[in-house]
This record gives sequence, structure tokens and C-alpha cells, in this order.
Amino acid sequence: MYKYDAIDQTLVDQRVAQFRDQVARRIDGTLAEEEFRPLRLQNGLYHQRHAYMLRVAIPYGLFSAKQLRTMALISETYDRGYGHFTTRQNIQYNWVTLEDTPDILAELAKVEMHAIQTSGNCIRNITSDAFAGVAADECVDPRPICELLRQWSTLHPEFAHLPRKFKFAVNGAKEDRTVLLCHDVGIELKKNLNVNNGELTADIYAGGGMGRTPILGSLIKQGLPWNMLPSYLTALLRVYNRFGRRDNLYKARIKILVKALGPEEFARQVEGEWAHIKNGEDNFTQAEWDRVAKHFTKPDYKNLPALTTEQVIASATHADAATQTGFTRWLERNVKPHQVPGYASVILSLKPHGTVAPGDASTAQMLAIADLSDQYSFGELRATHEQNLVLADVEQAKLYELWQEAKKQKVALPNIGLLTDIIACPGGDFCSLANAKSLPIAKAIQERFDDLDYLFDLGDISLNISGCINSCGHHHVGNIGVLGVDKDGEEWYQITLGGEQGNDTSIGKVIGPSFYADEIPDVITNVINTYVNERAEDESFISTYRRLGVTPFKEAAYKDKSENAQKKDKAGVDA
Amino acid sequence: MSQDRLNTIASHQKILHFPKGGKPALAHNEWQVWPGHQNNSEDEGGNFSPPDLDHGKKGLLVPFAWWLNHMHSHQHEADIQSKAKAGQIGVWFAADDDILKHADIIEAGKTVWPLVAVHFPIFRDGRSFSTAALLRDRFAWTGEIRAIGDVLIDQLLQGARVGFDSFALRPDQNLDVALKQFDLYSVTTQNSWRGKRTFIAETV
Repeated sequence: MYKYDAIDQTLVDQRVAQFRDQVARRIDGTLAEEEFRPLRLQNGLYHQRHAYMLRVAIPYGLFSAKQLRTMALISETYDRGYGHFTTRQNIQYNWVTLEDTPDILAELAKVEMHAIQTSGNCIRNITSDAFAGVAADECVDPRPICELLRQWSTLHPEFAHLPRKFKFAVNGAKEDRTVLLCHDVGIELKKNLNVNNGELTADIYAGGGMGRTPILGSLIKQGLPWNMLPSYLTALLRVYNRFGRRDNLYKARIKILVKALGPEEFARQVEGEWAHIKNGEDNFTQAEWDRVAKHFTKPDYKNLPALTTEQVIASATHADAATQTGFTRWLERNVKPHQVPGYASVILSLKPHGTVAPGDASTAQMLAIADLSDQYSFGELRATHEQNLVLADVEQAKLYELWQEAKKQKVALPNIGLLTDIIACPGGDFCSLANAKSLPIAKAIQERFDDLDYLFDLGDISLNISGCINSCGHHHVGNIGVLGVDKDGEEWYQITLGGEQGNDTSIGKVIGPSFYADEIPDVITNVINTYVNERAEDESFISTYRRLGVTPFKEAAYKDKSENAQKKDKAGVDA
Repeated sequence: MSQDRLNTIASHQKILHFPKGGKPALAHNEWQVWPGHQNNSEDEGGNFSPPDLDHGKKGLLVPFAWWLNHMHSHQHEADIQSKAKAGQIGVWFAADDDILKHADIIEAGKTVWPLVAVHFPIFRDGRSFSTAALLRDRFAWTGEIRAIGDVLIDQLLQGARVGFDSFALRPDQNLDVALKQFDLYSVTTQNSWRGKRTFIAETV
């Protein structure tokens, strides 16, 4: 993975010093809270319901065992013994104090980490495929471009105060695992012999986003040579910075500008601006590519035979039947194919049923997982946008051993991609923006669907929960989405169906009036039962939904409501 | 509205100058910023004259929109022209002025205005960063570009990098702290008006 050189290290160290001074001015009162707010946000520091929350960047989701140990140390020293992995490949600490943050950032800087631009109206932490560099379906390893763009966007002066936050995602695989089209800018990397002499190019999608107005990004540029990304993105961001709306917070994202102008006109304006700067010195040079790309070479893989699933299962032959079943299930859900024969990628589930918030890891778990990565995966890890962790380079022959170790840490639940692999924001338990709590809903659903046999029978279903319309829990792209809404000071939940991430990314449809929290497990049960009753053999939830449309699911969701209403009516008549 | 604008253009008596390649320093403010009309009634515009200069001021910064409307109006042309010829008139751009739409006026202005200013209606409005960047990149403006309005300590470094070389800070800002903002970083990872990114600068 990428290693800081003197430039990178100096920059993060100086950023810590700058923030330390800003915090000191806030504490001595010379910097007002209203003016400190954008400064602290640009360094990942929120003021939440109970305390400050610090969001630390894990650029494109890649981190080392050493970095994880520092994350663990921070959770123990400055927080309450855990950290929360987010949908955008960051880690959040929910209980820090303002006074401690400069010291936390200094600890992070020692292991080449920072919180720069993890919030605020600027270019945010750049996200990518958690399986970058190892995925069997990869066309281009996106990591060098991610790192080049991380550096280019870090402390970019012209784009420090955009109309609103700005999120990049970068994909280089056949299957999109980045929710590319739901980003302000999605960068799809390609290599095609007929384009740019077979050199790396980028297709640019702009104007996607979730939030109040979910929109999928539009393709505005094809075949952009990789080295011209800085000039093109400067042109794009300059058009947005100058003309994005600043009069209404809810209309300030680039998606609204792109929609208002139309993607063609937006693309034309960007081209117009780019024409002046495309051949300038902003563009990346080969030397810059080399400086970064040399860190993304393949690890020291052994020459191993590729094992079939049966051969891998055979490593558990001496175990009892239940153990073998458990291991087989884990192989099916949590182990993914690898580019290199004899290796696999393993997803450690941070979604135990009903015990902790989705994406949370305790200090002890973080330390143990760091050891596992040292032992089984070259000391590297990845954070997924679904809020799980990945050991990317595990020898197939060691999967059984690793599974047993992971079970001890309670991160081996075989529920990846299943109903209980819930994506959820911290919600109203922590977040001051939230209208409603997310975590109790996630817990109730996980408790309701705690039967692994049943979950396996249901197969691939995504259920995403956001505590407010900012959509940090990505509810718009869940097959089942749950959104917390506020009605007259009460917490209600709106259900969307039919959302999807991946190559068929779709925005879910709101099915109707919202529900009380305690109704949600029954509503989900009714929706799931409809799927079970209606599905053709091996048909997934989303395929069944697409075939049948929303109506049968909607009727099922409101079944109890109408029955209750009828009972009430009847009661009224009887009285 | 206009009263707000008046207030936000208030600044320290001293201007913080940070010329490209030079060192930050404070100097007496020789330029008076005229916020424009006290009301928004367009039809009064033609009858409105810019104020006389306060004692001790060398020149007047007028709103760019006013310059567009009145530079060639019959009533003021002679007066304004003579002041402009004497180097006593500059313009300031509002955050929503689209300078690319008036490229010809700005090109012509390069030989007339001793300096221009760009206004921050509120510190977190970043449009003026792009305006300054365009003035430097697109118009090759080599004269002074001054940040006016809600100019705070923690914008100075960004402003200095996009193209500003003087700052009229809001009156409550501590100038000693302000002067220390420009050497917080010894490295950069993208080009700016001040110089190339460190990796390129070091390897060329």
C-alpha cells in the first residue's frame, strides 16, 4: 500500500499544527463557534448529540495492521472502547473532546493517517472498491489514481468552500462495488486498445447523489486520458463552485446544477472551461504516476495451486457436522474470488445479530483483527462501503484456520449480502442531524431474522437504514430502504423498495405513509413473506420485485395497518 | 441588503499585503471601497455619483456592476474617465459577478485599474476563490487582487494560493495571528498561483 514520503508526512504534520492553533483560538474565545464550524468540519470534527465526533479518513478503504492498532489505541484512550466504520470508508469516534482532537490527529499522523476533508463543503475522502488490486473481475487497479487524486484534492485552495460537500468514487472492476452513480463525480477507469493507445482512461459521471433528491450520475465525458484528470476535474469543480446554488442548502449539491442545466449543457460548460487549462501544468506527470504506483505492486504471493471449494471444505473434515456446515456457509457468503491462484479475499462481518451497531468494532476486536491481517493477509486490510472489513490476500489453504480465529472475535458471522448485513448510519442515538434512531431498528430486524437457515434461503437482499434524509445509511439503494422521518416530534420510518447498488444501480421507491418503529419488524416480515411466496426458483428478492412491481409488496407492508384500522373501526361501531 | 453589504465591507485600517514571492506585511489602506447604491432602485443609478474620497485615500474601488452600467453613461463619463486616468479608480467584483461574461471589459480594465478587489459576502462562500483564480489564469491579471468583505484569518492561506495578494481583514480579526498564516505549510500537493506542487518543483 501507499507509503508517505517526506512531502506527505510534512503536510499532515503541518495540518495537525494548523488545527491545534485553530482549536486553541476556539477555546480562548477569539474564534467564534460559527466561524470555527467549517474549519473543524474540514478536519472531520462534528459536534454531535452528546459529544464531538471525529471522522478519520481511510483513503479508498485501504489500511495497514499498524494503522488499525493506532485506531484501536485511539478508541481506548480517547473514546469509549470502540470505533464505527462508515459507508464511506472512514472510521468515526463518537465520544471525543475538542481539547483532545489535536493529540488524536498527531497520533494518526504518526501512522500516515489524517482526518482532512472527511467533512465540510469540500472534496471528501475518495472512495473505491474494497477489493481493488485483488478482485477477480478487475479491469484496472484504481488505487494509483485514487492516491493521486487524494493528494491533488488535499487542501485544494480553490475548492475549500464549495456550495456543498463533494464526493468522488473510483471504480476499475466489471462489477461496481462503489455505488459509483450515487456520487457527485464517479470515475470509471478503463483500458481499451482502441482508446488513447491502450493507455488508462477515465469515463466521468457527474451529478449523482442520495440525500433529499436521489439522482443517478450522468456520463459527461468518455475516454479522458488518466493524466488529464486534474485539469478536467478543476474545470468541473470550477463550474460547480461558480454556479452551484448557495441560497438553499438542500439544492446546493452538484446534482441539482446538473439537473437544472441538463447533463449535456453541464458537460459543454465544463468542456469550455477545460479547453483553457487542459494542456496546462495541473496534469499528472509520468514521474508522479511512478512515485505513487510503485507502492501498489502485488505482495509476495506464493506459487500455490488453486483449490476448489470442495478442497477448501476438506480442510474441515475432522470437525463435527455443525462446524463443517458453519464453515461451508462462511465460505459461501464471506469469501470472494481472487486474481491469484490459491488465494481468496475474506470479509469479516461487523454485523453480529442485534448485539452492536452495524460497523462497530471494539478496541479488542481491532487489535485482534490487526493480528489476523499480519498473520494471514500481508498486514493489510480494507474497509467496505457496507461497513465490514476485508482481509484481501488469504491463502485458500488457511481459510479454515482463519475462520476459527475470526469466530473467536465474533467477526465470522456468514451474513455478507444477506438481510442482516444491514448498512446503517449512527442515527439519532448519536447524530444531531438525525430525525430518528437507526440502531434500534437494525437491532430489531437482526433479532427478528436471527435464523441463518432462513437467511440463507432468502439469499441476497440488502437492507439499508438512514436516520435522516442525508442518507448516510444509503437507504435509497437498499433493496429495502428504511428512512427515519420526523412527524410532529415523533420518530417515524418510511420504507422504500427496489433500490439496488452494483451495475444495475437503482433508487428505491417510497411505498407510502411511514410506520412507527415497533411496526418495522412486522412490515419487513410481510415484505419478505411476499417475496418467499411469489419467487420463482432461485429468483432473488430484487428480481422478484422487478418482475412483480411494487404493488404486492406494498399491500403486504400495509396489511397489518389496514387490519388494525378495521379492528379499530369495528371497535368504534361496537361502542 | 445594501446596509449588510456596507457592513461587510468594513475592514481593518491596515491592509495585509502578501506579494507573490514576497513576505506578508501590513500597510496603510489607500483605497476606499464604495459599496454601491444605498438602495437597489435601478432608475436612480444614472443620477448617482460615487462619493468623494475620504482624506488620506488614494483611490476608490467601485462595484464592477456599477462600472459596467455607468462607465459610459453621459453624466459621469468625463469625471470617471479623468479619475480613472489618474489611477484613482479600481473595481471590486461581487461573489456573483460572472467575470467570464465580461472578458472584453476586464481586458480593457487591465490598463485602467491599478487594482481590483473580490468580495466575500460571507467567509464560507468560495466563489471568489474561483474569480481570483480566473483573473490570474484566464486574464493574466498581474496587478493587485484584494480580498474584501468577510475576510477571516483562516481563509488567508487559501486566498493567497488562488491569486489574492492583499487582504482587507474584517475589523475583529487579529492581524498578528493573520500575519502568521502564510508559512503554515512548507509543501503543497497541487499547483497554485504561487507555485508548482512540491513534487514537481523539487524534481524539475
